[in-house]
Amino acid sequence: MTRQERAAWVFSAPVLAIIALVFVLPTTLAMALSVTDYSIYALADWANLRFVGLGNFIDLFSTPLFWRAMGNTALFAVLGVPMAIGASLAVALLLNDATVRWKPLWRVLLFAPYVTSIVATAVVWRFLFNERSGLINRALATVGAAPIDWLGNPHTSIPAILIFVTWKIFGYNMIVLTAALSVVPQDLMEAARLDGAGRWTRFRHVTLPAIGPTLLLAAVMSVAGFLQIFAEPYVMTLGGPAQSTTTILYFMFDEGFKWWNLGQASAVAFVLFLMILALTMVQTRIGRRYEWL
Amino acid sequence: MRIPIAAMLRTAPRALGLLPTLGLAACGSGRGVEPLKFWAMSYEGDYSPMLMPAFTAATGIAVDVQSLPATASHEKLLTAQAGGAMPDVLMLYNGWVQEFATIGAIAPIPSPALVADMFPGVLDATRVGGRDFAVPWSVAPQVQFYRRDILARAGYAEPAEDWDGWLRMGRAIKRQRPDDFVFLLLLNWPDMLMTMLGQTGAAMLRDHDTRGNFQTPEARAAFAYYARIFAEGLAPKALSTEIQDPVAAFAQGYFAIWPTGPTTLLDLHRRAAEIPAERWGTARLAGPHGVGAVSGLSTSLCVSASTPRAADAWTLVRHLSSPASELRYQTMIGNLPARLRAWSSPQLRAPILAPFKEQMRFPAVAPRVIEWERIKVEIQFAAERVVRGVQTIPQALAGLDTRVDQLLAKRRALVEAGTLA
Repeated sequence: MTRQERAAWVFSAPVLAIIALVFVLPTTLAMALSVTDYSIYALADWANLRFVGLGNFIDLFSTPLFWRAMGNTALFAVLGVPMAIGASLAVALLLNDATVRWKPLWRVLLFAPYVTSIVATAVVWRFLFNERSGLINRALATVGAAPIDWLGNPHTSIPAILIFVTWKIFGYNMIVLTAALSVVPQDLMEAARLDGAGRWTRFRHVTLPAIGPTLLLAAVMSVAGFLQIFAEPYVMTLGGPAQSTTTILYFMFDEGFKWWNLGQASAVAFVLFLMILALTMVQTRIGRRYEWL
Repeated sequence: MRIPIAAMLRTAPRALGLLPTLGLAACGSGRGVEPLKFWAMSYEGDYSPMLMPAFTAATGIAVDVQSLPATASHEKLLTAQAGGAMPDVLMLYNGWVQEFATIGAIAPIPSPALVADMFPGVLDATRVGGRDFAVPWSVAPQVQFYRRDILARAGYAEPAEDWDGWLRMGRAIKRQRPDDFVFLLLLNWPDMLMTMLGQTGAAMLRDHDTRGNFQTPEARAAFAYYARIFAEGLAPKALSTEIQDPVAAFAQGYFAIWPTGPTTLLDLHRRAAEIPAERWGTARLAGPHGVGAVSGLSTSLCVSASTPRAADAWTLVRHLSSPASELRYQTMIGNLPARLRAWSSPQLRAPILAPFKEQMRFPAVAPRVIEWERIKVEIQFAAERVVRGVQTIPQALAGLDTRVDQLLAKRRALVEAGTLA
């Protein structure tokens, strides 16, 4: 080992040790837990603990609520990621326009929901979504639309929560995209304009390639975020109505911490881990193809 | 269901109020600076600090009360036990005593005198393997709170006491107030359905409580009646998260009949400006052929098995469950005393308490398995699916049997192996 290599190891050792302690070790233990039937009976007496191999996974795959939760989570991600990123991009483009005044003020106002407490805002949004007295239904009534039971109808509960989530989180990616937009080459934009490129063509061929890597990053983070959505349904609907907003993480929380079936819950965590890993790999591959990474 | 802002306002003075008690402990008995930790849920947690100054003055033991939200308390207590962070004294709903005794979280009572004069039937729910692990604190049967004025307009002086009559009364009220509802049965609160299942005589588990037994005529009858109330538009299809302020909704006549427990007395007294006392009354819940046994959220006091200060802890339990404390509690939050001696007090002769007093003698009996709390949630999920038209009753009940079999798999294995009686 050369002196340089030694120095490198010395500098990275603390970080590696911390990663091993707070990430590798707990993950390994959780995986070990997922092949046992650790439940409240094991909490009572360790002698009740049994090795069950893939039993937890087989059990899981035969539980209708698990598939329901998977479906709900997929719906959250499929609808939520375009909604959230689309909102961020649209607002960032608007704010980037030269004619907009008081830009810092707008940025602060639009970023504010991101840093507010989720529980407090969820309570406010629950009032907004109220079927009888909510502001949203009152607004709909002025244009003659029938009132919607937003959080009480299994078909509208996910869209309702997504509206709230989008409002809550779009500010973060908006700031990131604003930064990316500021480095879009203006001379290229001028040249395109002189060549007769319209708004859409300029966006497609000048802006998009420039902010591509940032968009990809935002997409990866959003997908991972939406697959782990928990607090919003927990506060807004408790997973209801008719378990239509029970997500995979909510399911895991109930199994693990509410009912203390840690074996089963670890199996869910393992499945979730594989899902996020697979999706991120696909996204990275797409990014490579377009030479964004 | 409680008002969060009010709870927050209550917390601040409480936190400040702790400072003097801490000081008192330091210069008091010399038993140690740490105050005794006491956890309680809901209004019991919110109002317990008011019972503490008298206790601290009499014994020199300072107490730190932590109020847990009822909906998150089960997981908080389990996590505390797993993490070795249990309080010295804790409140449990009676249905949880067996679970926490089985996992070794709570200690058996040191002397039978502690539970000598309890309301009959109460001790059956908190006895585990022939031993008492808890001192019953309050008895909280559900009754129907009703709007006198709305019922009178529909031609009823009092709510009906049998199922058919309940429906007829509901329809009569609905005809007069088509935009409002009659009953409030929250779709994620299982108490009412549990009562109905008990009243039709459904034996919900079979084979030594190791399998679900829901595909029976009795369970079908209870589910059908429950679903019918919603199908006829007599109850809103709502979760507790949607009815954010049930007291205001009751005052506005959004519903006229509210099956709930004695702590609602506190809510209604506190908000008499919105709903004056002459507008509401209480009556026993309707059953298939008249009044019968109902379930409720009665509470007990337990001492952690791992507390280093067991003697102090039991002193606190003795204080909290004394007739004087229980009566004081009754005036504060409506909870009804579990001690028989307290019932000779004139304060419990108020007519509004009479239905509770009669109902207390008929508690519903739940299966004694530690998975019961979870099974209750599953039963309510099944009922919600029926109410919302996602499944038919036979589908829901078959699914419930499969699910409950799955949940009881470990118990079944232990019973078959002879580890569990």
